[in-house]
Amino acid sequence: MHNLLWLQGASCGGDTISFLNSEQPSALSSFEVLNINVLWHPFLSREQGDDVVKIFENILAGKTKLDLLILEGAIPHGPDNTGKFFMFHGRPFREWLADFCKHAEMVIAVGTCAAFGGVVTGHENVNEMSGLQFLHNQKGGLLGSDFVSKNGLPVVNVPGCPSHPDWIVETITAVLKGWLHMEDLDDFHRPTVFFSKLAHHGCPRNEYYEFKASAVRYSQQGCLFEFLGCKGTLCESDCNERLWLGRTGSCTRGGFPCIACTSPLFPDKQRPYFSTRKIGDVPVTLPLDVPKAWFVGISGMSKLACPERLKKNAVSFKWIT
Amino acid sequence: MATLIAIDPFNRIEGDLRIEIEVEDNTVISAKSSGIMFRGFERIMSGRSPMDALVITPRICGICSGSHGVAASKALAQAQSAEMPENAYYMKNLILGIEVVMSHLSHFYLLFAPDLTNPRYKNLSVYETVNQRFTAMKGSSVVMALNARQSALEIMGLVGGKWPNSLAIQPTGTTSTMNLSTLTRTIGILKEFQDFLEKRFLGCPLNEWLDIDSFDKFLKWQEKSAHSGSDIVLLLSMCLAAGFDRIGKGPNRYMSYGAYDLPDGSTWLPSGFFETRLHSLDQALIKEHIGSSFFRDAVEARHPLEGVTAPLADKSGAYSWAKAPRYDGKTVEVGPLARMIIADDPLLTDMVQQMDSSVMTRMFARLREMCRLTKEMSLWLEKINPAEPFYASPSSRFSSTGIGLTEAARGSLGHWMKISSNLIENYQVVTPSAWNMSPRDEGGQPGPVEQALTGVYVAEPKDPVEVNHIIRSFDPCMSCTVH
Repeated sequence: MHNLLWLQGASCGGDTISFLNSEQPSALSSFEVLNINVLWHPFLSREQGDDVVKIFENILAGKTKLDLLILEGAIPHGPDNTGKFFMFHGRPFREWLADFCKHAEMVIAVGTCAAFGGVVTGHENVNEMSGLQFLHNQKGGLLGSDFVSKNGLPVVNVPGCPSHPDWIVETITAVLKGWLHMEDLDDFHRPTVFFSKLAHHGCPRNEYYEFKASAVRYSQQGCLFEFLGCKGTLCESDCNERLWLGRTGSCTRGGFPCIACTSPLFPDKQRPYFSTRKIGDVPVTLPLDVPKAWFVGISGMSKLACPERLKKNAVSFKWIT
Repeated sequence: MATLIAIDPFNRIEGDLRIEIEVEDNTVISAKSSGIMFRGFERIMSGRSPMDALVITPRICGICSGSHGVAASKALAQAQSAEMPENAYYMKNLILGIEVVMSHLSHFYLLFAPDLTNPRYKNLSVYETVNQRFTAMKGSSVVMALNARQSALEIMGLVGGKWPNSLAIQPTGTTSTMNLSTLTRTIGILKEFQDFLEKRFLGCPLNEWLDIDSFDKFLKWQEKSAHSGSDIVLLLSMCLAAGFDRIGKGPNRYMSYGAYDLPDGSTWLPSGFFETRLHSLDQALIKEHIGSSFFRDAVEARHPLEGVTAPLADKSGAYSWAKAPRYDGKTVEVGPLARMIIADDPLLTDMVQQMDSSVMTRMFARLREMCRLTKEMSLWLEKINPAEPFYASPSSRFSSTGIGLTEAARGSLGHWMKISSNLIENYQVVTPSAWNMSPRDEGGQPGPVEQALTGVYVAEPKDPVEVNHIIRSFDPCMSCTVH
């Protein structure tokens, strides 16, 4: 049996909601099939008040083994580095958290906030938040760059705003089975199995992308990269292959741009969200790994080669035969 | 001798809450509700492009991101004088409706019902069934409800692409469209969800229960054996046996901004302020107070357009990171009960006349709304025409203010935006649970939940389950509250 403690920092609860969106296994049956004993979860557990504090104290006294600690939400350090923006049972939440991390066999940060600070670090981090082991793309965070949990791994980051339920459940699976090693994590400690692909992969608008047949306003079928701000060719995630919500949707399938919410630099460096910044006709931010000169050359060629079928459908909200 | 009891953390709600009650002779003589965290969303908004509101504000709340999207899109639409095609009204209503239905379903099965398994109720005849169905994370109905929720999620995927945090909701329409396939599939999935409601939750066709227009008829209906195995009958028996009709009286003033906009300019659920009778709503009468809140300001109360968010963690006498919104200086209850009263739902109006606002009426109002919405969504789906547009070209110019008012699952949600030089100068959000869970205002007037807890008899102060029921009947969302 693996003991799990799930905590929420400066959180919207969206990663718990996303976890509940899990399908096979469902969130509740994942506990069963993975042999997980939920010590406490703020949204799901019956225990409250002093009973929770007792659970906490037993972990810190070493009476209850903490196999897995999961955090969602950022860590509040403010105001003026006092931690008083979040007092949990009379003590700054970040102090509880740092103590739990010392006792945990494994630590997973779920969602971009817990991993990198996320949305609440917007506006130059005026609110003094951080992730567990990162602030944006810089190592450090609450625990410092050298932290490793008892199993020898740093905090495993499973970002996304929210994180995909599969990423959460599969990371828990890999960690509990001992399948996840340092070489399976990227520079930002994200499991490469989910975060080395691009949101662009599997996008149904790919043929439009190939021929630079672009939508000029939302709800149209064309590619959203050239004019409408889509970061799918930069965003490291497998959203469009995996799909969301019963495999029914994704951002670009819903007609709106990827805003690269799995990035350590979310939310400020992705702006503008809804339009593409360009110099002349060339987008400032090009697809990941693609050399600029080649991109410009290929784009010009593909535009010339674009079939009529794509040209007219790119700017139509419904399919034209 | 009064004893002070703190429930900290008070969980199985959305977000973080501390409840403090003072108990004398087993009676709560005062209560304090504290939002224990500051997240600073309003500070993040300032200086950004107005359109960023669609990205940032939904992330205030993981359970009602769509409602924030709707509020932000309405504020932007007002600032841009934007208009939407007809289809977009129904698409937005579907996104909001599905979110609210899922929220109500999760609230009942995951958050509220586990308290019914408290050993306190072991002598009730339904206790064994209640345990078998509603035990936290394991009960048979809990598991079935979560499976039924998957159907709702699939609709959200087809209409909104991704959730939480869909950007399909825009001021001039939706980025998402429907074609013959997605529309047909959505209709089919909604029917599956309705099947769960009819088989497990109600034990009868949806319309049969929605046609019940008085509490008397409701009681007669439940006596029919065909419904005896349903979860709603189980809840009804528990409510009456445990006295949920007598605890949790709110301020008896209700507010709704109205929601689910329709192309003719009306809303499916009407707006209003109810105090003895229905009055029309004037948002200019809203002020947020900070007397007991960890904020600093030269003025004690301001209209949200002039609102200021300056945190002050060491403020003496303060006990919550929530501001205290008041309507014309008064506390009001928001949420499904307020909406059902203002919409003049016959069953709920009758129940409130008989048993006042209470844990019981609040729960049944929420579940009533879940069922009414399920029916209404199927009608909205019939109105969508895939051959017509879903989105209109937006203007890139913004006027100086935008106000977006809607109803989230938990009640009235408002976004107030001030814009200068096409950038956000001030953005203030007043959430449903800020109304219900608010601390005392500058006049010392307790918030609705604080008031609802005061005077309650607690049989076992060490395990004050009555307090749990009352608080959870409001379905607080503290993530929203302490945005």
